[in-house]
Amino acid sequence: MNFWQKNKAHIFKLIFLAFFNALALLSLIISISQGGYILAVITVFIMIIINFVYLSDRFYPLRYILPGTFFMILLVVYPIFYTIYISTTNYGTGNMLNKDQVINHLENRTYLPDEPRTFNFTAFKNEEIDQFKIIFEDREREEYYMADTINREISQISLSDAIFQGLSSPSELEEINGYKRLDRMQIIQNLGTLEALKIEFADNELRMEGINTFALYRQRFVYNSANDTIIDQRDAHEYVVRQGHFYNEEMGRLSPGFRTFVGFRNYRRLLTDDRILQPFFRVFVWTFIWALLSVATTFALGLLLALVLNDKDLRFRKLYRTILIIPYAMPGFISILIWRGLFNPEVGVINRILEALPFVDALPFMNNIFWTRAALVLVNLWLGFPYMMLITLGALQSINPSLYEVSAIDGASIWQRFRYITLPLLFISVGPLLVSSFAYNFNNFNLIYLFNAGRPAIAGAQTPAGGTDILITYTYRLSFETGRGADFGLASAVTLMIFIIVATITWFNFRFTGALEEVKENE
Amino acid sequence: MKKALTLLIVFLMLVGLVQTVGASTPGQLLIWADDTRTPVLEDVKGQFEEEYGVSVIIQEKPFGDIRDDLAIEAPAGEGPDIIVGAHDWMGELIANGLIEEITLFSEDKFMNAGIEAFSWGEELYGVPYAIEAVGLFYNKDIIDEAPATFEEFKELVINLRNSDKADYGFVMPQPDPYHSFPFFSGFGGYVFGTDANGVLNPLDIGLNNEGSVRALSELAKLYDGYIPNVDYPTMMSIFTAGDAAMMLTGPWAVADIRAAGIDYGFTSLPTMDGNEPRPFVGVQGFMVSSFSENKILSQLFLNDFVANEDVMYRFYEIDDRPPTFIPAGERASEDPDTAGVLASAEFAVPMPAITEMAAVWSAWEDAISLSLTQEQDAQEALDNAVQQILRTIEEGM
Repeated sequence: MNFWQKNKAHIFKLIFLAFFNALALLSLIISISQGGYILAVITVFIMIIINFVYLSDRFYPLRYILPGTFFMILLVVYPIFYTIYISTTNYGTGNMLNKDQVINHLENRTYLPDEPRTFNFTAFKNEEIDQFKIIFEDREREEYYMADTINREISQISLSDAIFQGLSSPSELEEINGYKRLDRMQIIQNLGTLEALKIEFADNELRMEGINTFALYRQRFVYNSANDTIIDQRDAHEYVVRQGHFYNEEMGRLSPGFRTFVGFRNYRRLLTDDRILQPFFRVFVWTFIWALLSVATTFALGLLLALVLNDKDLRFRKLYRTILIIPYAMPGFISILIWRGLFNPEVGVINRILEALPFVDALPFMNNIFWTRAALVLVNLWLGFPYMMLITLGALQSINPSLYEVSAIDGASIWQRFRYITLPLLFISVGPLLVSSFAYNFNNFNLIYLFNAGRPAIAGAQTPAGGTDILITYTYRLSFETGRGADFGLASAVTLMIFIIVATITWFNFRFTGALEEVKENE
Repeated sequence: MKKALTLLIVFLMLVGLVQTVGASTPGQLLIWADDTRTPVLEDVKGQFEEEYGVSVIIQEKPFGDIRDDLAIEAPAGEGPDIIVGAHDWMGELIANGLIEEITLFSEDKFMNAGIEAFSWGEELYGVPYAIEAVGLFYNKDIIDEAPATFEEFKELVINLRNSDKADYGFVMPQPDPYHSFPFFSGFGGYVFGTDANGVLNPLDIGLNNEGSVRALSELAKLYDGYIPNVDYPTMMSIFTAGDAAMMLTGPWAVADIRAAGIDYGFTSLPTMDGNEPRPFVGVQGFMVSSFSENKILSQLFLNDFVANEDVMYRFYEIDDRPPTFIPAGERASEDPDTAGVLASAEFAVPMPAITEMAAVWSAWEDAISLSLTQEQDAQEALDNAVQQILRTIEEGM
């Protein structure tokens, strides 16, 4: 009992390590068996570090930050580096596979020889050595051939040969030297081996065509590793590697292409193509205004409501607070879709109300850029003010009430108290949250895309950029709605540009709020 | 105790991560199917396993995930042998080297539209099983029969708007190229032209030819006050409330219309200048993965156990989409709605499967939107869209 009490922590630690090591070993075995050697190396590395840190006394304190660091690398650092890596490749539709897979794919392509021939077959298997003998029968020419899987050679035989024992068809033969005939079901169970079989026959290859037949094929493409080219054996064209495809001047490129490093090509396209650049600036300006308006409007309303709710003399405070949090508690995308319906210009409730009112008319929400943007800001206000209200309420509580008493004695007005006490002290705690809210709205894909998919369309646009598209939705359209389908390389490049823009803005913002911190220090 | 419990949960989660999912292995068929197809395949598989002694595993996946998951898992050696999918995925799947051509022994028993949809050049890449195309729903309480020509249709839409029989004569989702295409094709427009071999040519775009412009300007005139500019859910609520006489959409809407108790008819669209409107047809089918280790077995399964009347009819029973397998289609045509879709699909154009279509949808949608809101005339909007499509395709953007 005493022993248990003393060493409880240690025993738990050992159990944990044992579990961890067992799991790590399991994943190590799996990754090696699947050929994932890099993963295996990383697993071993992590295993050593974890064991070392947990068992050594000197590095014992490290164990508290180890899990955190590990998950930060896994979930934050790794995706960033992966995005950088993808942005330097041509990864996208048509260039998904790696080069070996593409070569393998192309080398499996066949064409029919000038004289196509089809053979029926009878297969025999020796279970002990797991090998096959196959007798092929060309019924048209009444010719017979036999091959085995040991040396893959084929030779012509005849019905009068000894092995046929005077039978009239190979399918009546039960056994050849320990090889037993396979029935249909057994053939199906051995399809894996039979399907992969390629037997040289004259200049051609004999391959399985269907469940009952083999046929003559010729391999169409052959890869030459010495000079990294592919030869089309049918017409002797040579394909060289060019931008992720095997390419021939005359014939064009072979599909599929492969994933390859393209350096700064994606960035160059972004920075030099005026079709991308021209809407880019327009979109950028709107993105900036959008993020700014989002923060300003939601904060203004949130602050106002928080000030009202902070008044201790207000009755039913809790009830009001609960009601006002509802927009925040509802799943955002459902609210957005509901608002989308409310703003429908033809049948939406908002326009019906506007039509019924005197002096105003229905507004072209969704079809006019200005009114769609206005609607978006309004919807975002509804979605965002409860958050601002909550954080401001919290911050207001933390302001020392004696400051107000002192200022009241000095004869400060309500406005002065708000302007010189509440606001500066509020910004100290709320400032960083406003910055993060700005960054969030800068990339608010959900709202823009679900509300009107970045539309209305702009007449005469060169690339698909709509009137309410922000950078992130524009990226999405650029990468998935143009050209030949998805272009992950380009998408990653734009994402990194956006990352740099947001990071810069955030940095300046923090400098600004950092300046506010000094207010506190001087307090 | 609490600690031990947490530890246990963490452990179970880790085991969940490590556990590998099924992958194509020789001598065992792995099929990715969606929730509606899975039960039928589950029924068939027992028979196949018994007859051939090969086990079949059916993995259920949301329909929309199958395409993306194949692109990631097949090259990594984790993919299936057979997938259920739509024919318009084909271009992308072929461009990425993910699917294999198929030999179908009973090709003549399939509707031509189905085979055509899954053909790429001379090769066939899928076994079609269901077909869908948009058509015209009409409310029998408001009009007795659907108009036969576009002139009648136009007159009806204008008259009903001015009468008190219904709020609207006609509704359709907008801006939506897929639903608008029957008008374009009826007047002589097309998306991609074909070259001498019947292969689609992505640089020959017919969206701003005379017929296309005519179609869009006719629509724009009606949208100036007679047809509401609404999206799909709004359109459905208008029609199911009995506020519109006609609606253009596909058989997937039938369940909701029936539930609303509307006495409806379903038929093909009116002729335009004497031409049959040709809606886009979408075809669902089975495809074989290039990374399959059982290509011959997969084809055997599809030919012997899927391409037969009984199984094809069961797919129909569970899903309402008309079968492309002719014997099953004939049996299903007892239902007038199904007969309506099959009639509509007869003239249909397979939705272009080439990857360049990605560039078309968005620009085309913008053109329709600008024209229907009367911001640009049809000619200008469509010219601009085609120019935009061509530039992004040519420069490989």
